[in-house]
Amino acid sequence: MSEEIVVQTRSLSKVYRDFWGRQKVRALKALDLEVHRGEVFGLLGPNGSGKTTTIKLLLGLLFPTSGEALVFGKNSTDVGKNERLGYLPEESYLYRFLNAEETLDFYARLFDMSPETRQERVDALIKQVGLDKARKRQLQEYSKGMTRRIGLAQALINNPELILLDEPTSGLDPLGTREMKDMILRLKDEGKTVIMCSHLLADVQDVCDRIAILHQGELKELGRVDELLTVADVTQIRAKGLSDECQNEIRDVIGRHNGEVLEMANPTTTLEELFLSIVRDSEARPGRRAPNPASKGPAPKSPAKAEPESSSESASDG
Amino acid sequence: MVLEQDILPYLQWFLGGADSLGALPRFLLIVLGIGLLGLVGGYVMAAARHGVLRGGDITYRTVSAGFRELFEMSPRRIWALARLAMKEAWRRRVWVALAIFVIILMFAGWFLKTDHQDPAKLYISFVLTATTYLVLGIALLLSAFSLPGDFKSKTIYTIVTKPVRSGEIVLGRILGFTLIGTFLLVTMAVCSYVFVTRSLGHTHVVERSSVKLLPGGEGASEGQTSLESYHRHFVHLDADHRGEAESNHGHFHYVEPRGEDFRVLPAEGFMRARVPRWGSLAYLDRQGVSKERGISVGSEWTYRSFIEGSSQAAAIWTFDNIAPPKPGENSSDSDEEEGLPIGLIVRVFRTHKGVIGKPITGAIQVRNPDTGLSSDLIPFGALDAKVDERIISRKLTSTEGAKIDLYDDIVSNGRLQIVVQCLEKGQYFGFAKPDCYLRLPDGSPVLNFIKVYLSIWVQMVIVIAIGVAASTLLSGPVALLLTVSFILLGFFREFFVGVATGTEYGGGPIESLVRLVTQQNVMSPLKAGGVEPAIQGVDGVLKFLMQSLAQVLPDFSSFSTVDFAAYGYDVPADRVFQDLTTCLAYIVGLAVIGYFLLRTREVAK
Repeated sequence: MSEEIVVQTRSLSKVYRDFWGRQKVRALKALDLEVHRGEVFGLLGPNGSGKTTTIKLLLGLLFPTSGEALVFGKNSTDVGKNERLGYLPEESYLYRFLNAEETLDFYARLFDMSPETRQERVDALIKQVGLDKARKRQLQEYSKGMTRRIGLAQALINNPELILLDEPTSGLDPLGTREMKDMILRLKDEGKTVIMCSHLLADVQDVCDRIAILHQGELKELGRVDELLTVADVTQIRAKGLSDECQNEIRDVIGRHNGEVLEMANPTTTLEELFLSIVRDSEARPGRRAPNPASKGPAPKSPAKAEPESSSESASDG
Repeated sequence: MVLEQDILPYLQWFLGGADSLGALPRFLLIVLGIGLLGLVGGYVMAAARHGVLRGGDITYRTVSAGFRELFEMSPRRIWALARLAMKEAWRRRVWVALAIFVIILMFAGWFLKTDHQDPAKLYISFVLTATTYLVLGIALLLSAFSLPGDFKSKTIYTIVTKPVRSGEIVLGRILGFTLIGTFLLVTMAVCSYVFVTRSLGHTHVVERSSVKLLPGGEGASEGQTSLESYHRHFVHLDADHRGEAESNHGHFHYVEPRGEDFRVLPAEGFMRARVPRWGSLAYLDRQGVSKERGISVGSEWTYRSFIEGSSQAAAIWTFDNIAPPKPGENSSDSDEEEGLPIGLIVRVFRTHKGVIGKPITGAIQVRNPDTGLSSDLIPFGALDAKVDERIISRKLTSTEGAKIDLYDDIVSNGRLQIVVQCLEKGQYFGFAKPDCYLRLPDGSPVLNFIKVYLSIWVQMVIVIAIGVAASTLLSGPVALLLTVSFILLGFFREFFVGVATGTEYGGGPIESLVRLVTQQNVMSPLKAGGVEPAIQGVDGVLKFLMQSLAQVLPDFSSFSTVDFAAYGYDVPADRVFQDLTTCLAYIVGLAVIGYFLLRTREVAK
């Protein structure tokens, strides 16, 4: 297996059986995949399509019925591979009686880290996931988002080369979702390989380089996201400040060249962008109703700058 | 004290002797047997699922990975998992066991009275038994539900996706629960010790009016103490008013002068650690003919056999390696000091009532095993089951009236015989081998207490190891049931083995069931309408399985050393090391079984 190929499956199949060994469901059928170093790979599909089963097979949590899964060239049941990977389960299955520090310290010990490295890593990750103020609180007091963040921190405790994320944005609010996606992109920038599975198409589209679409345990599509989503016979033009006359002229030009205008309208922002913009504005100017970002054009990527509170709008409006 | 089986020297027990298989070869044979069984069973299952060749490949990979991972285990990871197990146990409020124990002790004070003939025995038995059951219960609950809890909450996902070996998970759990159990046990031991010493501690005053000078005693006097805790003591005092309150209710007091009066010091000797050295026992019947056993008085428990009073029947103990005290070994040169200290326990069986409370008269003789030269009878009064500690004087008189020396004339090649007879007609003395012994200097009672707690600790660790190993495969309640079954069978191992080997009446399990349902007694031949051979055939198979299981069944009843402490005997070091070695063998065996069960289990299924 090439150094560049981090994960490889060969005719990987999984059949779930009952107590008597009778076949209950065929969860995965002869899956052939290769995931390359440094890419964000998405496993996409509806519920029950075999995404989570694939992740679990790669982790050695399940044994293949036939075929094989190789991670870093090692069989997926080989514990040694775990030295180089991190895993965030669908729910953050953590010990709720531990606090954030104890949780990360415990997982760091499982990597046989020296006390100094352990302490350093725990501090850095707690800050990175924004739980510095809650580091001494037991996880049972954490909100869902905080639990996901500490879950992500435990997955990164060993600075892994490969990170497997099972439904990473599941249960997160839009802000948490955005943070998670930003984190995935940061990991990619650091040269790490990420495999994520999700049924939230927008999330996958935003962060993945390549995707595999599974349905009923079968691989239906595999390729680069931009290639898969490109509609070859449609041309999109985006412009700003055009008058009605100009727009009519453009329509005429398209008509003269035997083209068909499918849509020409003011674009709308996404609900996610709207929500994020409102939250950021609210954080920057507490007590004020946020302006509609759609009226000002696309929402900015970074939080808006704080403005003086000498606003004409009253706090009760918020 | 009851000691039904000899305690072999450690090395002989470990390596075996000419006529017995040692613990080590036995362990290796069992490991080999279970290993082969596991290998074949594993292959058959893998082959059934994946085909003959792939099944073989999977089996080979599993076994070879097992050996490889054995050397990849990290103490740091094991310790991390152990710490987690401890935190989890604490979160599950194991300290409640301590609260329960303290409450039990508080209420026990109401019910355990000090009017018992040997109150220390009652108190020590009680605290040790309560500790044993509580600690085993806690060990059972912690170990059986921990891993299944992780599987249920799926927290195990975040463990097994780290470079953690299955063996580390099993060992970490065993270590963690053992440490938390040890903490509970140590706390209970301290509470128990304080409870026993505080409950039994008392003092008396010497009744001035009872003190009388002994004629010709050069100022020595005797008297008695006041009545406290349902008893009083006779007091022997020297001219300086120093002395001792005679042993009663299992203890004694020192007395010292306080001005013109006396001061009785706190009770001593409640907790003792007598160190006995046992010999071999033979019997003479009423005609004086040598026998292996005495007669039965109808007791179902055949541990002791009896000798008849006022006949030639006798119990004869032979001791070896007896050496005279070296010059200067004793501070005093009196005959008493140079004599042979012995302990004697007599079970008295009365065929007529006599005077209740009055001892039955018996006699002791010491005899040269080679020449047959015997001392004259040394009479004694036997109270049922009471430990009679005495010193055989060095200067003795032979049966012919000649002066003889214990070590020069009676001890021959380091050997000596002690002959005990009952002198009252119609009364019987019952003995077993440990009932007569040579007394070595007492050991430390506190150390002995610790050794007894160590035996409880051994039982606790074995229960934890069984629970953890079972929980790698089974759900919590099922693992609990399996572990409870092991404990119960372990406590009744002798009966279980008796059924398996056919020495118990009533046949095997199926035959017993048929007898139970059809109300047939256990002595008459089975009547089952012609299907007796089929029943006995099935029983044959079950008995074979039971015998196989008996090989690995922990003998919990033999681990207990509660009686040693209760009766005031030192737990021999050989016994302690044997128990610790057995415990280690169970940990190793069960950890390996747990490893393979966890390794071959689909965690996310």
